[in-house]
Amino acid sequence: MAGSTILEAKNIYKSFSGVPVLQDVHFEVKAGEVHALMGENGAGKSTLIKIITGVYSKDEGQIEWEGKPVEIRNYQDCQKLGVACIYQELSVIPPLTVAQNVFLGREPRIGPFINYAKMNKMTQELIDRYQFPLKPTTVVDNLGIGQRQLIEILKGLSQNSKLLIMDEPTASLSGKEAEMLFKIIQKLREQGVSIIYISHRLEEVYMLSDRLTILRDGKNAAVLEKEEIIPAKVIETMIGKVVDESAGSRKMLHSDDSAPVALDVKGLTDATDRFRNISFQVHKGEILGFGGLIGAGRTEVVRAIYGIDKAAAGEVTLDGKKLSPSPKASIRAGIGFVPEDRRNQGFIPLLSTTKNVALTNYDIVKKNGLAISDGDELDMSKRAIQAIDIRPSDPDKQVGVMSGGNQQKVVLGKWLMRDLKLLIVDEPTAGIDVGAKDEIYSILEKLASEGVAVIVVTSDLQELLRVSHRILVMRKGDIVREFKNEEVTQSKVLAAGQGVTEEEAK
Amino acid sequence: MKNINWGKYSKPIILVVFIILLSILRPKAFLSLNNFSNVLWSVSVIGIMVSGTIFVFLIGGIDLSIATLCAFSAVVVVEVTHYLGDTPKAVAIGVAAALAVGLLAGLLHGIIITTFHIPAFLVTFATQSIFLGLAMVFTNNKIVSCTVPAFTAIGSRKILGFPMPVYFMIVIAVISWFVLRKTVFGRYVYAVGGNETAAAISGINTRRSAIMCYMISGLTTALGGIVLASMTQQASSSTGAGYTNDVITAGVIGGVSLLGGEGTVTGAIFGAVLMGLLNNGLNLLSVPSTHAGLVKGLVIIVAVAFDAMQHADQSRKKVKKVKKAQA
Repeated sequence: MAGSTILEAKNIYKSFSGVPVLQDVHFEVKAGEVHALMGENGAGKSTLIKIITGVYSKDEGQIEWEGKPVEIRNYQDCQKLGVACIYQELSVIPPLTVAQNVFLGREPRIGPFINYAKMNKMTQELIDRYQFPLKPTTVVDNLGIGQRQLIEILKGLSQNSKLLIMDEPTASLSGKEAEMLFKIIQKLREQGVSIIYISHRLEEVYMLSDRLTILRDGKNAAVLEKEEIIPAKVIETMIGKVVDESAGSRKMLHSDDSAPVALDVKGLTDATDRFRNISFQVHKGEILGFGGLIGAGRTEVVRAIYGIDKAAAGEVTLDGKKLSPSPKASIRAGIGFVPEDRRNQGFIPLLSTTKNVALTNYDIVKKNGLAISDGDELDMSKRAIQAIDIRPSDPDKQVGVMSGGNQQKVVLGKWLMRDLKLLIVDEPTAGIDVGAKDEIYSILEKLASEGVAVIVVTSDLQELLRVSHRILVMRKGDIVREFKNEEVTQSKVLAAGQGVTEEEAK
Repeated sequence: MKNINWGKYSKPIILVVFIILLSILRPKAFLSLNNFSNVLWSVSVIGIMVSGTIFVFLIGGIDLSIATLCAFSAVVVVEVTHYLGDTPKAVAIGVAAALAVGLLAGLLHGIIITTFHIPAFLVTFATQSIFLGLAMVFTNNKIVSCTVPAFTAIGSRKILGFPMPVYFMIVIAVISWFVLRKTVFGRYVYAVGGNETAAAISGINTRRSAIMCYMISGLTTALGGIVLASMTQQASSSTGAGYTNDVITAGVIGGVSLLGGEGTVTGAIFGAVLMGLLNNGLNLLSVPSTHAGLVKGLVIIVAVAFDAMQHADQSRKKVKKVKKAQA
């Protein structure tokens, strides 16, 4: 069924501020195939796609469309060739109908007026051809995310696109909606449309793809034909065998059950079903790692524990005392929380280090009557700067202008000024440099050695193995696997998170 | 020259240049205690109001109902005083009633904005009309006057050469400065305005903070209305007309960011005084009122441009820093 080559990217190089992101990457899509693109976070998948769609310019290399070299300078260029990108954050306009969205800006006209009859007819023809479960005259407002995504696809098809790029298309879809999408993808393939399918979800890739390109550290790791796509092989290739044998990719876990329980979570269930019936304990002095794919519900669980979101059911106790679900109550009870999205949730960019560090600690900063003691506040800030080596060390420096690593130290540093019983960190080292990473790990380890219970949510497998004493893996809102007092490897965690049993993976 | 942050000093520079200019051009009229006292008297109502409304600006909100709430509270103090027999005690109750109206209005704003997540400008745009309507209803759309000495004293009695409202302004500004600069609540206000999500995750009750800010704003607006009514010895639905603009302008000239998280009371009071000096100067220089608006607009642009320069300066520094870190 797969025919001639439709798109070929050859010897692609790209670097950002001197850091190579893509090196000598080859990527080829044939007519009428579903070609999956996989790789860990930061492997270069999105950079490659952005080069193909003209968002970034390549440093070196060549892109050929149907055998002829082409220059893609912007998204319009790529649309003209017949490439459509289906964004997960959809660009459909809710108050308009399906047909109006599909032909937005390209409406068939009679004189100055839109020819609605013709527009609806053209849309219906497309719908019939690919058997989409849509009607041209439905107002988008009434449709679910899955159907909205189909409109995006229709839009692409209406421009005679021969190649659709889908980036994590099922990320926000329900099971049923995903099934619908898979059927459509099959139909499109039968009609000769090519699809680049980017996903972290192995099971979808096994089911759908004709071929699979795996990137690792900005280089081609493998191109696998359909019969070669075996879970174990894919995971191995994504992580890299070489890495797999090094110290960072396997670890003997040890946890001490005799230490008293600090946090006890029983039957925690989300109101919008992002996680359900979550029960686990964390002991004093233990670092509990949470593994799993992005969107597995880990962030939602820790947010509910800390009380940012209210759970529909379940109970959280800390040192035997029931916690009421609010950040303020959690802080008073001895919980610290470092959120996932540092820039938007972690700190106040306009304020100084001092005021950011003090923000959660005004209950312990000295006061003269109503007035905060500026001296004591400054003193606390200086202690935090010293404890965690924040740079610049000027306590009056606005946090918004610091580097990511130092911003994270400010976010973390404020919790070190309190008597903590539990520290929750969500993606603690995302986007920060190696030096600062190590410093953050040693702070987590030091806290644990002082008896603080620590929960680390991370999508970085190396980090998960490095810091955890025990690991829980979540998948689609459930805890699916616990690794405890056993040898764990990156592949085992990855397999559990993707819903592949280890036997299957072998 | 490169290292001087002109934005930071823009306010004092503008002020000094302006004062020198006027001193040279109109030494006798300008450089007198009486004139100085007049300038302060004329800006005192705006100063009182902006000292409270700054709380709303700081959390990234806005209050478009300032002028009509000012009118409504002016009407309330005058009408209540009349109703209770124009005695000094009646004045006291009238003042208390007007202040209560301001607090309630703020409470209402805060609750509607935070409960239904409606943008502040829409809510206060609507209530602006409600307050105007109330002021009209209470006065039958007429001007009501009040010449009770205990009442007129609020706006015009002089102590040590300065009229009472100037002292009110100073006291309110100092309280506002203290709350913002020294108390935990003040710290929370800047945090909520700077990053509401991060503030909430830090355990701050962002909703309660916002409601309190609107209440403070309502209270000072009502106080401004009382003082204004006392100064003019009357109240009507048009008392304080134009004050919404003036208060916002004073804040903006004073470097208060309408996006929230940035600004000081000293800056806002400076903004108010600069506006007063400007009016006074244009008056002394016999600039016809037809041209005054033009000059004021230009001065506002210059002041705000200096602020923008300061910000551009900071982001340039940040880019440099990031580049250095990457290298």
